[in-house]
Amino acid sequence: MKLRKIMALILAGVMVLSMTACGGKSTDTKESGKTASETGVVKNTGATEEAPKEAELNIMMSFPQYMDQWESYCKKFEEKMLAEKNIKVTVNLEMPSSDQYETILQTRLTGDDAPDLFTLHSNNIGTYNKAGNLTDLSGEKLAGKIYENVRSTVSVDGKLLAVPIESQAWGVLYNRDIFEQYNLTPPETLSDLKSICETLNSNGVTPFMLAFQEQWVPQLMTGLTLGDIVSGKLTDWLDRMYKDEGSYAEVREIFDVIDLIMQNGTDRAMEEGSEAGSADFAIGKAAMYVQGTWAANTIMETNPDMKLGVFALPINDDPNCTRVNLSTSTTLAVYPGSQNKDLALEFANYVLDDNDSSELFQSCSFNPLASCHNYESSSWVDEASEYVARGKAYQDLVLPSSVTDEQGKLLQEYYVGTVTVDDIIERLDAAFKNANSLN
Amino acid sequence: MNKKHPNRSLLLFCAPALLVYFVFKLYPAISGFFYALTDWNGITKTYKFVGVSNFREILDDSYFWGSMRFTLKYVLAIVVVSNVVALILAVAIESRPKGKGFFRTVFYMPNMISMVIGGYMWMFIFTKVLYYMADNWNLKFLDKSWIGDPKYSFLAIIIVAAWGAVGYLMIIYMAALQGVPTELKSAASLDGANAWQIFWKVTFPLIGHAVTICIFWALNSGFQVFDVIYALTGGGPGRATQSAAINIYEEAFKGNIRYGYATAKSTVLFFIVLMVTMLQLRLTKRREAEL
Amino acid sequence: MKRKNMMVNIFVYLFLIIGAMYTLFPLLMALMNSFKTNGQLLTNVISLPDRIHFENYIRTFEKMKYLRSLGNTVLLASVSVSLMILFSALAGWKLSRTKTRLSKIIFSLFVFSMLIPFSSIMIPLYKVTLTLHLKNSLLGLSLVYAGLGVSMAIFLYHGFVKGIPMELEEAAGIDGSSSIQTFFYVIMPLLKPITTTICITNVLWVWNDFLLPLIVLSSNKKYTLLLSTNTLFGQYSSDWTAILSALILAAIPVIGFYALFQKQILKGIADGAVKG
Repeated sequence: MKLRKIMALILAGVMVLSMTACGGKSTDTKESGKTASETGVVKNTGATEEAPKEAELNIMMSFPQYMDQWESYCKKFEEKMLAEKNIKVTVNLEMPSSDQYETILQTRLTGDDAPDLFTLHSNNIGTYNKAGNLTDLSGEKLAGKIYENVRSTVSVDGKLLAVPIESQAWGVLYNRDIFEQYNLTPPETLSDLKSICETLNSNGVTPFMLAFQEQWVPQLMTGLTLGDIVSGKLTDWLDRMYKDEGSYAEVREIFDVIDLIMQNGTDRAMEEGSEAGSADFAIGKAAMYVQGTWAANTIMETNPDMKLGVFALPINDDPNCTRVNLSTSTTLAVYPGSQNKDLALEFANYVLDDNDSSELFQSCSFNPLASCHNYESSSWVDEASEYVARGKAYQDLVLPSSVTDEQGKLLQEYYVGTVTVDDIIERLDAAFKNANSLN
Repeated sequence: MNKKHPNRSLLLFCAPALLVYFVFKLYPAISGFFYALTDWNGITKTYKFVGVSNFREILDDSYFWGSMRFTLKYVLAIVVVSNVVALILAVAIESRPKGKGFFRTVFYMPNMISMVIGGYMWMFIFTKVLYYMADNWNLKFLDKSWIGDPKYSFLAIIIVAAWGAVGYLMIIYMAALQGVPTELKSAASLDGANAWQIFWKVTFPLIGHAVTICIFWALNSGFQVFDVIYALTGGGPGRATQSAAINIYEEAFKGNIRYGYATAKSTVLFFIVLMVTMLQLRLTKRREAEL
Repeated sequence: MKRKNMMVNIFVYLFLIIGAMYTLFPLLMALMNSFKTNGQLLTNVISLPDRIHFENYIRTFEKMKYLRSLGNTVLLASVSVSLMILFSALAGWKLSRTKTRLSKIIFSLFVFSMLIPFSSIMIPLYKVTLTLHLKNSLLGLSLVYAGLGVSMAIFLYHGFVKGIPMELEEAAGIDGSSSIQTFFYVIMPLLKPITTTICITNVLWVWNDFLLPLIVLSSNKKYTLLLSTNTLFGQYSSDWTAILSALILAAIPVIGFYALFQKQILKGIADGAVKG
């Protein structure tokens, strides 16, 4: 009797599940209605009468905010494969939320449960390559299309290991309207930045937007300032750090500008998430925001009339140290042990497709990074590119990811006043040594 | 046949339970001890035996002990706060003739909802609603950095955790209170004892078993606290509100991804929890016997 | 005397009412603000919505793939708890009725493990799910829950069976029905009260558990309600109207369950705890 009840329970569960599965499908058909008719046409004209081969492709990406764009791009890929190769591909696109993405990816790579393609930060290419998780893409069509300065960010020993997707020159975002209103120009030195803050403060405008709830946002300040100091002054610092011969004490002056930003920022920073920060910055709650151009999407959505600008963050009074960060953040890699490697490579190439790629990149507000991209870039992108053209840019520093995490944590603590600069130096040195000893 | 081979049919009946139990609880617990002795990490597929070096490293791991201290502080606060509040509520509701069902229903409700959901709801209160009240109603004492300042974020975590736990404990206390015979209370009342005396001399000794259960439960769940903190502060700012479970989770799945080292940490946590619960059980058992 | 009683009464009710307001406050604030537009929410979080905006709900309903996540959660909870009850009733009954050394050993093995905290076995357990290819599978996760939950359930069954007289079983045994049949037709009906308790506490546990599904389920097609809500939270961290409507949507099933089975749930919780 009890057993029957249990069976009924299971059955009920299964029924609910199947109902929802149908529900899910019915919403999909709206989108794919067009697909079916198009492929129908292709089939009629195509000479092949054979039934299409079936294949599955598992892709994992850390772009929950661009879910829709990538989903429709995968649909297009499915159509293309059916039309050109007579393969009926089912793309399984997974988008875990970004704070869990790395966790999930790493556990799956170790568990022999790797997706065919996955995104990763370009800074991790070295580590993943060492672990044998990346495929050499140098021989692929896409290799020839990528701009040279971007290509170097995704290559190790001359081998192209990932398809760059998000690449940008970035520094500090500023509100051009506010700057014009008070006759301000982007700073060249730390003194300039100080006087900008004074002018803004005396006019009742908060200089900096602070949104420190997520650790990676305060971490951007170390990203920019360390880059400045290493490119302009202490060129061998990072190399020595990797050999256990350096110390954060040598770059102590980065705290001059970090202090300036923290002292001239909005209140309640720890309660403000990055997206909320972008939205508040867009409606003019502060004049500047230490944030990459990837935030432009949210900002322009919140306030389409916003005049957005980018300047390089000065760290001292040497204008030579004032540079923008040239970095490739998200890249797409092909897993070498993929069951459908040919198809995976097809997809990698399709991301930089001559016909369709521009539309995708534009809809996600990614910057052009390959010869197949023929769209106008935004004004703030141009402004940052000017720095690059003048040679005032550096390649994003590659730190061990545990050190990067630690920097974010410590800056949060520094902001709430539970650690001093000396503590930070000591703890970062220890974290770096620890990371060195483990790799 | 059963009479002749009692163990054979016993094993037959226990087989399914034993199987899942061995595979998903006992084996992981035992193999945990083994992984704790290796340098297994999340990226490479091979690992080697490193002896007790992980445990030696834990001794000097100030972040782990920091998280352990935070966990102890949390356990202490949540055990006291949730039990005291739950007991007061239970007594208050039981002693009133009207509205019993209503209040019981309301106070238990948060326990139905996951702490992740509850945590995010409270996040809204702490980051939006309280500031609105502070700014517009001139309630300056609410204008605190509830998530950002470690002093207040500890308070925030306790407020939310107690919100979720009190209802559960209250139900247990209410059940125990209902088991106290009314004759005893009225007899004491006739002898001239006041309500306060009746509670401590008559009622409380009779609900000792419930007190043991509630403290045991609060201790046990307190040591494993994860969801509330994850949803509210994520352990931050920095590591200020990191509990032991969050520290282990981060060691295993973030940064250097050291599974081996993280398992060593969880082994240490296990023995600490074991010691504390044994101690607590012994103490309360003795008290119960005395009373 | 009467006057004093009145005062006490008023004081106690006042205390209870304040407590109830505190308890309901986050739920009501979330509900109220989930019906606002984002602009309205930002200007005033305390006011009532000018009209009921269902747009937030429609949007999040689709975004979090509500029906699919709900279905996943229902499947996970029902299969996990069914397995748990079946396995532990079989074992708990037999352990209680067999008076041998082995029986005592097995029973204490189950009881001892109740002390092992989940975070200690989290990583090795994860490894086990990988090895057995149970990763990213709802049925696999159900087996894991069964494994984690049996010890407590066996403990409860064991205690309950002790209070049932042996005569019934013996009578059935003489009838010639085999042990398994005795179990399903005679024992299970007798165990009904404790089965309800075990069912309720464990459904709530599985339904509200976060960390285990977080590490075992990696594809959003398999996500439970909680995981989908959590993902949405990461996606829309600036848009509280979207988040709050998602939170309400995630809370509705449990609140509904509570409204329907309130009596059984409260009784089950009390019984489960007191007997444990």
